Amino acid sequence: MATLDSTQALAGATVPTARTRLDLSTPVMVLFTAALCVLIVLPLGWLLVFAFRDQAGRATLANFQRLLTDPTFVEPLLTTFTIAGSVSLACGAIAAPMAWLVARSDMPARNAVRIIVTASFVTPPFLGAIAWELLAAPNSGLLNQAWRAVTGAPSEEALFDIYTLTGLIFVVCCYTFPYVFVLVANALERVPGDLEDAAAMLGSSRWRTARRITIPLALPALLAGLLVAFLQAMTLFGSPAILALPAGFHTITTKIWSLFQYPPKPELAAAASLPLLVLTVVLLRAQSAILGRRSFAVVGGKGAAPRLVGLGALRWPALALCLALLCLPVFLPYGALVNAAFSKVPSQLLTLDRFTLRNFVFVFSEVSATKLAMKNTFLLGAMAATAGALMALVIAYLTSRAAGRGHRVLGFLAMAPIAVPGIVLGVGLFLAYTRPPFVLYGTLWILLLAYITIELPAAYQQMQSAFHSVHHELEEAGRIFGATRLRVLKDVTGPLLRSSLVATWCFVFVAVVRELSAAVILFTSQTKVLSVLIFDLKESGDLAAIAVLGLSMLVLTALVIVAANSLLGGGSAARLRNN
Amino acid sequence: MADLALEGLTKTYGANRAVDDVSLRVDHGLLASLLGPSGCGKTTTLRLIAGFIEPSAGKIRVGDNVVSAPGRVLAPERRNMSMIFQSYALWPHMTVAENVAYGLTLRKLGRVETAKKVADILTTTRLSPLADRYPAELSGGQQQRVALARALVVEPETLLLDEPLSNLDANLREEMRFEVRRLHDAYRYTTVYVTHDQSEAMTTSDLVAVMNGGRVEQLGNPREVYDRPVSEFVARFLGGSNILKGTARDAAHVEIAGTVVKGDGAPLTTGTPAAISIRQHEIALDPAGAAPKAGVNNLPGKVVRNVFLGPQRDYVIALPDATQLRVTAAPDIDLAPGFDVTLRLPEARCRLLSR
Ligand SMILES: Nc1ncnc2c1ncn2[C@@H]1O[C@H](COP(=O)(O)OP(=O)(O)O)[C@@H](O)[C@H]1O
Ligand SMILES: [Mg+2]
Repeated sequence: MATLDSTQALAGATVPTARTRLDLSTPVMVLFTAALCVLIVLPLGWLLVFAFRDQAGRATLANFQRLLTDPTFVEPLLTTFTIAGSVSLACGAIAAPMAWLVARSDMPARNAVRIIVTASFVTPPFLGAIAWELLAAPNSGLLNQAWRAVTGAPSEEALFDIYTLTGLIFVVCCYTFPYVFVLVANALERVPGDLEDAAAMLGSSRWRTARRITIPLALPALLAGLLVAFLQAMTLFGSPAILALPAGFHTITTKIWSLFQYPPKPELAAAASLPLLVLTVVLLRAQSAILGRRSFAVVGGKGAAPRLVGLGALRWPALALCLALLCLPVFLPYGALVNAAFSKVPSQLLTLDRFTLRNFVFVFSEVSATKLAMKNTFLLGAMAATAGALMALVIAYLTSRAAGRGHRVLGFLAMAPIAVPGIVLGVGLFLAYTRPPFVLYGTLWILLLAYITIELPAAYQQMQSAFHSVHHELEEAGRIFGATRLRVLKDVTGPLLRSSLVATWCFVFVAVVRELSAAVILFTSQTKVLSVLIFDLKESGDLAAIAVLGLSMLVLTALVIVAANSLLGGGSAARLRNN
Repeated sequence: MADLALEGLTKTYGANRAVDDVSLRVDHGLLASLLGPSGCGKTTTLRLIAGFIEPSAGKIRVGDNVVSAPGRVLAPERRNMSMIFQSYALWPHMTVAENVAYGLTLRKLGRVETAKKVADILTTTRLSPLADRYPAELSGGQQQRVALARALVVEPETLLLDEPLSNLDANLREEMRFEVRRLHDAYRYTTVYVTHDQSEAMTTSDLVAVMNGGRVEQLGNPREVYDRPVSEFVARFLGGSNILKGTARDAAHVEIAGTVVKGDGAPLTTGTPAAISIRQHEIALDPAGAAPKAGVNNLPGKVVRNVFLGPQRDYVIALPDATQLRVTAAPDIDLAPGFDVTLRLPEARCRLLSR
């Protein structure tokens, strides 16, 4: 809307103090649209260009030909689909019943289970994979040692071998199932109790109600969850890099990474990235089609609170089952990491005389890259979180408030990176910023760009829903009582959004600290970050140092989050919630 | 003086004409209400007046100044208006006193003067004991009074209210209705009051604009609008009206179910479809065959239903063509279903409507 404050141009106007004040929303919108275009179009454009040319720079389809015929490319593709498909199904089979127990049954400690599952999100997949090496490597794995000790099996035999396709699928499952769990649990919680009561009153039995009403209503969320799991597993780099390479096979992401090892073949890497990109777009479309239909009518509804199903004597066994399952992604891996960090021999169980702090001393004073990586990581985390949250704030403001032409384009651009897997973006950024006009490779800026681009969609979504929760009339009230647009932003919108903004900041920060797949393509020795350092240490096999770094990284992240919340979070959040 | 005038005001959303060629003049110090069913464009009209949205066509004037026209909108903060929002829009992070003081702070009033004005308005609206509470800690009625106090303390030229009473329970609603009028009389600003409740509009306003589908169907003082609805929609919306459809015999007569009925109102065109509207309590019932009366239309009918409601009886009567109409009669007139009656429709009460 063109807000022209000068009314002198208007017929018969004699308004006092008529000054022309510029409406900034249009220029800001244009500026952000242009910035997003550069951020997204440039890397993807170069990706396309490189995919269709040979090393001499001539146009060709040979890259794709090779991709489809050379078994060293075809096999990783097939392996990736096997992994993604299996992970998706297994996650559904585990997460859906667990989500139901947490959301709709009277299982004891339901909230604790939910919190633990959500917290397991925080584990970087590469760290989880390393922890599982400590547990289930065929020789040194703690679980295998325990098994041999109990059964007296010979030392060549092992119960588990994590360096297999099955092992990899298992580990990926551990760190993917929370996605399905959260989606399904939320959906189940929003199935209004009155729908079920209505069915019950019509004489439907409890299980029948579940089968006919509850499950169909939660089904779209489950399907969407399966797609997300598939997507995550397909684009994951960390776990396959840790487990598949020693096992002697590749997934498509590790293959792309290997094409950047000496001698680099960026054309092939670009070509191999495209199927990943296309599939991601297709899967995301499918997901929004599933979620976009009838499910939202219910999901939006304000019904009676959900009814809990009594489990009777099964209450405690159900909890035991949940806790046993949570051993796999949480308790066992963290136990193994703590064990390795404080033990003289990482592959042996910690006892009093094996206890040592030597690993910490080693990591923080002798590994030369530690300090630099720490500094880089936290600097980049803070910068990306600040820039990302502020960008998300402005874009969400423009798209949800200053509804003008072009705001759709802006919203679309802000969401677009969600379709670009980290490793693909890494390749694109590498291609785009190793040449003029922007030579950023080798600087922290290229990593910053990568992080902001990767995290923008999630940050934007969070800020957008925050804006939706602030009724537009609250802002209009400020205007009509005499505040300018900016003043309202400062006095009304800002304070009301502060806690959401802090939450978004923390979200981006955590995500940046654990990011590996783009960083592993873009880092140089001077721009190493923690995740890459851990990945490097893995190649040299120093598991104790990795455990120390991984745990320190999580502890420091937690400290930053606590500090951010207490500095900025404002106690107002609690007060606002009961409004 | 801040007379408010809407001139051909139009707002379209795509093909939807949310506000369609609305013209309306509210003299300074009067209270006008926009009355109509949900979705008829009341809120949009109010938001146009406040300057939150830009008109697609037409103008809004305050006094001699055009404040809104396509492409030229004076910012809301520069209109010296106040508004009470349907959601109240109290700022949840400010106390009652801070909410009320905000507008004064923006007007750069001194600290002492601000405090005094806030204290005064809080006393007037009986909110003083709640000054340090947050909106979430108030009941609906209290929140409504805070919204009122916040809107009045800045002494606006124009006050806009968007269904301010719709979230209150019935008792409180009645009480606050008179409060709105009392405060209006005390401060004499120009007020535009949006409501879908006809009795609210009747009791508070100097001027009523009945809206339908984005257009103003009728504009007049409450008495005029009630007594002389110009369309079937207005007659129905103001409640208690029977609409009897037929064909115009001449300028003042309509043939309904075989009887020619004389009515009052704008002349009709002979031969066109027409109708009359008459309220339930304006019709009298006599047994069939009673002598015709002068100045009254006499229609034959049959009792279909008779419900005793205490102070009155509610009848449904069928005309010979099976059209049903409702009649409110005294409780002692007790006619059984199936009984033939003569309906007495005073000519002056039969409002002519062309269809
Ligand atoms: N921002 C908007 N975009 C599209 N249509 C709108 C918008 N605001 C209002 N409308 C439409 O305009 C019509 C009038 O709405 P409104 O003024 O809110 O009605 P009322 O307040 O009388 O209930 C409705 O049909 C509504 O759907
Ligand atoms: Mg409305």
